[in-house]
Amino acid sequence: MHRLLLDRARTENEDKRVSAQQASQLPGGKFSTDINAHLQMTDNEVMCALLEASRNSGISEHDAAKRIVSREHFRVLYERNPTDVERNSEAGKQIFEAAIARFGKENVRRDSYTQRSGAFDFPVHLKDHRTASSLLISETLRKIPVVAVDYVYIIPEKRDEALKWLEENRTKLLERKEKET
Amino acid sequence: MNRLQRAAVLLELTDRLSAGGSWCGETHIQKATYFLQELAKVPSNFDFILYKHGPFSFELRDELTAMRADGFLELRLKPPYGPSLVTTEIGQELKAEHPRTLDKHRRAIRFVAEQLATRNVSELERLATALFVTLDGAPRSAEERAEEIKDLKPHIDLESAEAAVGEVEEMMGAARAL
Repeated sequence: MHRLLLDRARTENEDKRVSAQQASQLPGGKFSTDINAHLQMTDNEVMCALLEASRNSGISEHDAAKRIVSREHFRVLYERNPTDVERNSEAGKQIFEAAIARFGKENVRRDSYTQRSGAFDFPVHLKDHRTASSLLISETLRKIPVVAVDYVYIIPEKRDEALKWLEENRTKLLERKEKET
Repeated sequence: MNRLQRAAVLLELTDRLSAGGSWCGETHIQKATYFLQELAKVPSNFDFILYKHGPFSFELRDELTAMRADGFLELRLKPPYGPSLVTTEIGQELKAEHPRTLDKHRRAIRFVAEQLATRNVSELERLATALFVTLDGAPRSAEERAEEIKDLKPHIDLESAEAAVGEVEEMMGAARAL
């Protein structure tokens, strides 16, 4: 189940990237609230806009569109790892910042998401008319982990170099910076 | 405060509440953080709204979840109520790495924990709502504020509302010396 949630979060991140590109093509950056105008915005319009932007370097989102169309999209450089988080909860952020300093802001992206809302805790009315916490009753609910994903991406042209750099500097990059001691 | 400094403060508050006998469920931490921020003026910068059971911050709820994801906090189950939040070993390490922040706010954290650790959720709801009503809008008499609490939370009787307003005024007086 956890893997499914992670995959879903990752898909949402992909959607976000397409949406960002798409938003720049919309009047005012937003979909129309008029129902007919909204329904006229189909996949065809989106694909046309993507292709047009990918072929025309004068359009502001040309680079993003070209990367999507020609599958030159950003590739994973780093993903959240429980061992790293145990050492430094800001591992993703630090690696992202270091990658920007090393490879340039335009070549690095980060997608980070942590589940909102709390534990699945609600009162359960039992057959003997007493009430107990759902977490006490259900082992399954107790075992659902908090979903947290953190990805750092790099342009494909620099991926090999970046992976080598990360491998060589991982220990140093994971040292917690924000401490007062 | 950056995120980790704020997390260290929340962990210290959790530990102090727990040491003082609090059940330390999310509600206890929500209300204690509200007092820490609004009464003791620790700049934790959470947005609180008046919700079902008094002041509540969705941002704080998300942050407590994120702190569980990062391994600073864990849920501990003990019947008969909902889970308690407990600082983990990693959380203790985070606190140890932020001595300056904790020293700066230690008196305020201790003050809030001393005031609230032994309170149950009903008492916390009354007190936190009384503080919310006191700080919200133009100054009003204690009677007016108690009436407002009763209007907002009809399950709180006027006598309990008046007592809560009185207690909050005493706490505000004591907090000025911090």
